Amino acid sequence: MPAYNTIVFHADRCDGCGKCMLACAQAKSASDSPQRARLEVLADDAGRFELAMCRQCADPECVPSCPAAALAKNAATGVIEWDHGKCIDCLLCTVGCSYAGIALDEAAGHVVKCDQCGGDPACVRACKPGALEYLTMARIYEEVGSLEDLFVQGLAGCQGCNTELVMRHTLRRVGPDTVVAAPPGCVPGMGAVGYNGLTGTKVPVFHPLLTNTAPMLAGLKRFYKRKGRQVTALALAGDGGAADVGFQSLSGAAERGEEILFLVIDNEGYMNTGMQRSSCTPYGAWTSTTPVGRESHGKSQDAKNLPLIMVEHRCAYVATASTAFMADFYLKLDRALQASKTGFAYLHVYSPCTTGWRFPSKKNIEVARKAVESNFVLLWEYTPTAGLRLTRSVDDPAPLSEYLEVLGKYRHLTPEQVAHLQRHIAENVATIKRHAVAEAPVSPASTPPGISSVRALQGPAASQA
Amino acid sequence: MAAVAPVPSGRLLACDGNEAAALAVALARVDMVAVYPITPQSSLVEYLAKFIADGRLQAELVDAEGEHSVLSVLQGAALAGARTFTATSGPGLAFMFEPYLRTPGLRLPIVMSIVTRDTLTPQCVWGGHQDAMSVREAGWVQMYCETVQEVLDTTIIAYRVAEQRDVMLPVNVCHDGNYLSYGTARIELPEQDAVDRFLGAPDVNWHAALDPDRPMAVDPLTGGPGGAGPATFVRYRRGQCAGMHRALDAIRDAHREWGRLTGRNHAPLIECYRMEDADFAIVTLGSMTGAAKDAVDEARAAHRRVGLVKVKTFRPFPATDVADALRKLRAFGVVDRSVDFAWNCGPLYREVVTALQGGTRSPTSRSFIGGLAGADLTVEHFQDVIETVGQMRDVAGPRDTVWLDAQE
Repeated sequence: MPAYNTIVFHADRCDGCGKCMLACAQAKSASDSPQRARLEVLADDAGRFELAMCRQCADPECVPSCPAAALAKNAATGVIEWDHGKCIDCLLCTVGCSYAGIALDEAAGHVVKCDQCGGDPACVRACKPGALEYLTMARIYEEVGSLEDLFVQGLAGCQGCNTELVMRHTLRRVGPDTVVAAPPGCVPGMGAVGYNGLTGTKVPVFHPLLTNTAPMLAGLKRFYKRKGRQVTALALAGDGGAADVGFQSLSGAAERGEEILFLVIDNEGYMNTGMQRSSCTPYGAWTSTTPVGRESHGKSQDAKNLPLIMVEHRCAYVATASTAFMADFYLKLDRALQASKTGFAYLHVYSPCTTGWRFPSKKNIEVARKAVESNFVLLWEYTPTAGLRLTRSVDDPAPLSEYLEVLGKYRHLTPEQVAHLQRHIAENVATIKRHAVAEAPVSPASTPPGISSVRALQGPAASQA
Repeated sequence: MAAVAPVPSGRLLACDGNEAAALAVALARVDMVAVYPITPQSSLVEYLAKFIADGRLQAELVDAEGEHSVLSVLQGAALAGARTFTATSGPGLAFMFEPYLRTPGLRLPIVMSIVTRDTLTPQCVWGGHQDAMSVREAGWVQMYCETVQEVLDTTIIAYRVAEQRDVMLPVNVCHDGNYLSYGTARIELPEQDAVDRFLGAPDVNWHAALDPDRPMAVDPLTGGPGGAGPATFVRYRRGQCAGMHRALDAIRDAHREWGRLTGRNHAPLIECYRMEDADFAIVTLGSMTGAAKDAVDEARAAHRRVGLVKVKTFRPFPATDVADALRKLRAFGVVDRSVDFAWNCGPLYREVVTALQGGTRSPTSRSFIGGLAGADLTVEHFQDVIETVGQMRDVAGPRDTVWLDAQE
């Protein structure tokens, strides 16, 4: 059975403002009257909100209720489509639906229902608290679910390791015509490069030096290109090697526009060697080389913003991503893969480390999500032509304390240190916004984050799936 | 596209050692050259960049951001099957050390010129063998050239040795900074056809490839305290040592075949010059040999029984050849253009003395160090060496190193 994108309602985030209804009425009926919207938010006696809206059911009751065959489920999009030409205005469909998802619009004189705005729902865009969310995970299920996992089973990552998730998802998507370079760190540490004659990867894999991943892949890629062969050169690197000792060679390869997909899995330190500090370790964090004692209280400098530095190289593509936002991650992975065919593509994925950050392994995705929701991690993407744009709003973030309190590595923080982190986050947000303003095209064609980019990607993604 | 004239071949030319090396690389039809400037090798890679820019050499040029990446680029290209080249000197070689150490273990037949230079500090941009000598235990084959012609011929020969399937090791062709890098001489260029026949198609990654058509893990982790790990590591190491040992024959065979094709017969491992009936000898390395031969000729003219042994192949060390050449002498002196800090002598001296161990008798010997930091090693220097060696008695035991340019 196929999966479809869907609009989901988080009742706990809804404040009943009604802007979704207004946006719908404006978008679909050119009216400022919420009565003409195709969804309705209703409060119950206890003050909780419910949503009346078409669920685009897999087994819809409205369709067999229609005696005129005016309703039908679109097999491609999953949307139940209403055909005005066939409708006899009997309203039987409104009786059949349990969700009040199809109703009579008296001003229009016929029934109306949600069509998901063709993949860019106006209501979702209008919902500031994030109670309405357009979930595009269906694409992952449809396009990636059947792809082969190109790592072997039983990699020896720590329990709940996010890095393994990133690796497996990435290589499934990138596919078999790939050479993987995994410099020293957690990726080879869990067995991806193999031990004593065995390999952990089903594609060619190399364990380069911590310092030379990018140039080694550059030489390989250039020679294959010269020979007319299509091979993806994929780096699965950590933040330490990329931002510290391997930074020169990374910078050189980016400056030369080597056609590499360079993916950095940022767990904010040298976790494989025992949780030492890297330049990507945030201020205040405990690591084994920034310990907490009488004289010191964790790292005393802010993290280096490596992805932003890569933007300054004018790479073909740069983006940040998080495993708590997989649909976003997949979109960026697609774009990075495409960009790596003509230039240097850099993808920076934040990956909480259960072992090194000191939190229960079952909370990994929760930690990743809270990092983004609190603006500790910002999600954005950049291309030289479109500039930099945030792919998730940084306005109205969740309190930082909700993120910090989950992590043992911040347990010792003083109020002053938390205030420092707050200031740093504010600076980061300001910096990124400045870049976004300065570098985004002024053209009104610039679209908000959402489905328009999905459509643009369906061509290449489908042809490679 | 109009046909572009390739680099010249089959004729005479006057050029310096760096241009000769570049011409050899072009004649070897390499697939990829990675470059980074450093004195005194810069003009070598500039020649190659120009050959490629002019379409005279069909190869990929990578202007890397440092020597570390230069060699890393070549490792990746070689693992994809490319015949590759680069050159470096002194501090550049030092910066390259991490991938340099790894290349022989990967058994990648990369050829790299070391245009030799003294190492820092004292700060110095001039010639000396200290850079190449500092990496002598890394596992690369190292050959030292005496003349510009030998630079050209040896650079081509290096590919044949490196890619020989029972060798599969990277090769350094060492030529002296200043004296060979910039010294101009008349050379004979081989015919392109002869080079093509001599080298054949690149045969680089049959054993270890990063190729989706032949998926494998290249160089996975080995070792650990138990299980198959340590034995796996030992198997690789022993194989590398065996390849190095076989390089002696490979170098001999390649020189013989090159001589047959071109008529130029360079001594492959060591050259014995006027060693018949000699009582004394000078042992040399690199471009100093010319002046040393002149001094030997003068001494011979004065009826002194002096000869010369030039070491061309320093890694692997041709211990048997060296020992056979020197064992029957009364005394010899080894002239080094670099320093062995641990033993307070020249590194070649230490090698030669080691080679003579275990024989029935060892002649008395002495280490001479000269030509550091670009200083000229003149006929007069070698006259002094011959004089000193001739006066040494047949007694064993350590002797102080003679520093030829010292101001006592």
